[in-house]
Amino acid sequence: MDTATGPLEALELGPLPLATGPTSTLEGPTMAHATCPMATLEGPAQAHATSSVAALPREVADVVVLHLLAWDVLAAKKLPLNHDLGRRLLLVLYAVVKSSSPRKPAQRHRPIYIRTTLSCLASLSSSAPSNTPITPQQPFLRYRLLSSMEDKCPEPIRCKAAVCRAAGEPLTVEEVVVDPPKAYELRIKIVCTSLCHSDVTFWRMKDFPGVFPRIFGHEAFGVVESVGEQVDGFAAGDSVVPTFLSQCSECADCRSSRSNVCSKYRFAVRPGMPRDDTTRFRDADGSPLHHFLGVSSFSEYTVVDVTQVVKVDPALPPPTACLLSCGATTGVGAAWKLAKVEPGSSVAIFGLGAVGLAVAEGARICGASKIIGVDLNPEKDELGKKFGVTHFINPKELGEKTVGQVIVEMTDGGANYCFECVGLAALMSDAFQSSRAGWGKTIILGVEMHGAPLSIPSREILHGKCVMGSLFGGVKPKQDIPILAEKYLNKELELDKFITHEVALKDINTAFDLLLQGKSLRCTIWMDN
Amino acid sequence: MEQNTAKMPIRCKAAVSKMAGQPLEMEEVEVAPPRAHEVRIRILCTSLCHTDVTFWRMKDLPAMYPSILGHEATGVVESVGDGMVEVAVGDTVVPVFSAQCGDCADCLSDRSNICSRLPIRPGGMPRDGRSRFSFASTGEPIYHFISVSSFSEYTVVDVAHVVKIEPGGIPHEMACLLSCCVSTGVGAAWKVAAVEPGSSVAVFGLGAVGLAGAGCGAKRIIGIDLNPEKREIGKRLGITDVIDPNGTDGRTVSEVIKEMTGGGADYCFECIGSTPVMAEAFKSSRMGWGKTIVLGVSNDVGPISIPSHDILRGRSVVGSLFGGLKPKTDIPVLAQMYLDKELELEEFVTHEMGFNEINTALELLTQGKCLRCIIWMNGAREK
Repeated sequence: MDTATGPLEALELGPLPLATGPTSTLEGPTMAHATCPMATLEGPAQAHATSSVAALPREVADVVVLHLLAWDVLAAKKLPLNHDLGRRLLLVLYAVVKSSSPRKPAQRHRPIYIRTTLSCLASLSSSAPSNTPITPQQPFLRYRLLSSMEDKCPEPIRCKAAVCRAAGEPLTVEEVVVDPPKAYELRIKIVCTSLCHSDVTFWRMKDFPGVFPRIFGHEAFGVVESVGEQVDGFAAGDSVVPTFLSQCSECADCRSSRSNVCSKYRFAVRPGMPRDDTTRFRDADGSPLHHFLGVSSFSEYTVVDVTQVVKVDPALPPPTACLLSCGATTGVGAAWKLAKVEPGSSVAIFGLGAVGLAVAEGARICGASKIIGVDLNPEKDELGKKFGVTHFINPKELGEKTVGQVIVEMTDGGANYCFECVGLAALMSDAFQSSRAGWGKTIILGVEMHGAPLSIPSREILHGKCVMGSLFGGVKPKQDIPILAEKYLNKELELDKFITHEVALKDINTAFDLLLQGKSLRCTIWMDN
Repeated sequence: MEQNTAKMPIRCKAAVSKMAGQPLEMEEVEVAPPRAHEVRIRILCTSLCHTDVTFWRMKDLPAMYPSILGHEATGVVESVGDGMVEVAVGDTVVPVFSAQCGDCADCLSDRSNICSRLPIRPGGMPRDGRSRFSFASTGEPIYHFISVSSFSEYTVVDVAHVVKIEPGGIPHEMACLLSCCVSTGVGAAWKVAAVEPGSSVAVFGLGAVGLAGAGCGAKRIIGIDLNPEKREIGKRLGITDVIDPNGTDGRTVSEVIKEMTGGGADYCFECIGSTPVMAEAFKSSRMGWGKTIVLGVSNDVGPISIPSHDILRGRSVVGSLFGGLKPKTDIPVLAQMYLDKELELEEFVTHEMGFNEINTALELLTQGKCLRCIIWMNGAREK
């Protein structure tokens, strides 16, 4: 056998007897990329190669991909790319492809024939037993290759979703139809999702912006199933989290480091998609279903605007990635990015739900010396300790004193940073009272559940106090979520402790019960596969 | 010379506020000698600030009666308490309501100017809470006002509230302005907000504080005031656009400002002391990064009411006393800026009068007919 060589010149694709289309008309850069084994490409080059291939007519793309697959096997075996094994592989692969794919495969069949192809390849390569499932981590069989084989004309998908038909009513798991993505949109196959109290706030809301029937959910992890036109930087197969907050990257706010509220696609609780206000969901009778925050993740498939999708490292466990989609990022971001808690600070957190505890986690990695947690639920005392809470206050157990008085005493004047993580105006006032004169900052994260106004004492604020608020912890989704993901992967940030329960989609109402009873932080809801 | 009176009480004139909203009454008072950490000051000139008016009108606490108001002034040290090192007899000084002890966590930090060692004690001296004033005839004590009480020929002030001024430098009536209003306005723009060139700013209330802030160098400085007479002086001091809240064709001020600035101002300063205006200022600030800076001292205890979903959109509200400035550190800086012609002060002095005419000053201010009336103590006015 010949010994291994480096990347080689163009290999003639040869006249494979495929049913349709030209087989050797590849242009410039695509040809150059096609000659280089996909396994050796990294980052942008790989993405470019993938999208170049994806841009080809399907028949040609299939040819190229089969060649790439074959070359990857050869490279792994350190064989030259013109080795006869390659040619034999291609013939076998072609036979597999031709036999397993109907002329116009529906979306469902593609994954099957791709998996068949890959497992066949694996057995041929003898580097794994023939029954070993193909995992994305195998270096020469990248999951990314699947993206080059996306269907060019996605069709509506029938799938299951948890629909809420009336305010405060249990969700019903029904069959829905999810339209293909329009321009600037992606259709995402949701792998798992979780319940956040903001879902609950609008689930309970009888009047606008509460609307029904609606598919809730905005914290999730998924895989891109198809992309609409004009979508750059994403392809089928990408691991992504959808976010309720947009980042267009073009407007004054997106371009400024001082703001994270995109002014081109402003956050609002709308019934439809952000660009055209229409829906992509219909129920089994064909009636429209409303979106929630442009995410609607309580569905096996959903359609999300490209400004609301963030690519994440596939090495992240899905339930963890899901947390970064809202709750964990909001809390950690608020401490790290918005308040910029410095080492030695004192921090008070009102509401030890997932967001409040994420603030504690963020304050911990920022080096806060005192993290005071306030919650009516005594069980949060023990739980809080796992998240770095150093002092616990249950307002019901204070007797005559107010929370503000106790915290001012504990911190010798007031906490440097006070976070409200519930959504109640009275707590926002308590948080303000607990902050230190001179430089104390009160940070509002909670969405006021009754729409009550925030009341700031007009003379007290003169003593150097500040009140600020943010959506999503001041975080810019597309650049900051990957940063938090990295902090998790290098074990700087601990997120696994947020997941306290898991259920399947059919038991999604259990997730609501657990949250409302204060028994859970985050309950992962797995989509059936 | 001053030495004759050292360690002895001094009898002199003071304008005493005896009942809410009533004209001040000229009375002979006795001013006790200064104790440790205190100085007794012979006031040269003083001016009326609207916060004096707010407390003058207030019936209940924290207003106390009878009291000697006034907190903007320039004076000369007549005598000092035992062990006084920082300040000497004969020094020209400006008393300030905002303390700087120099030692506490706040005084040692850049982030705060709210001295935590000597918080304001209503009615008395900051360290023992007692008064140094009494009626000469009856010996009945008279309350202090925010540690200054400058509507008196002599007053006793804690050294933490005293700032030395270079002799022969800034004129006395200009130094007086640095004792409160101009420092508050300039400081708020410079230190609290840190207004950058190119910003858009809205100033609610074109009194001395608001107009002092207008010199901040922003690209667009929108002034809001009910009084049309403020328009001209506003423009002279840097206001680029003026809004009359009664002349907006039924739109709210925040709607007008959002239109003018394409979404809201980067910085909104409330320089009046009205909680509804503070809320309106907040609404006029830009989503994403808009800051509302509250400077006005309100006369009611009602809160600023802000839509809670609005604050989630990246806006903030911050308040400050004395524009976030540290008096002893920053007043000399402002004095030098005036001498270097980088700070406008003359425009703020619209009237001058003698101590006996102090109630005229009250009338002029409450009618919106003046910015600052400088009230000269007898014999103190420089030629």
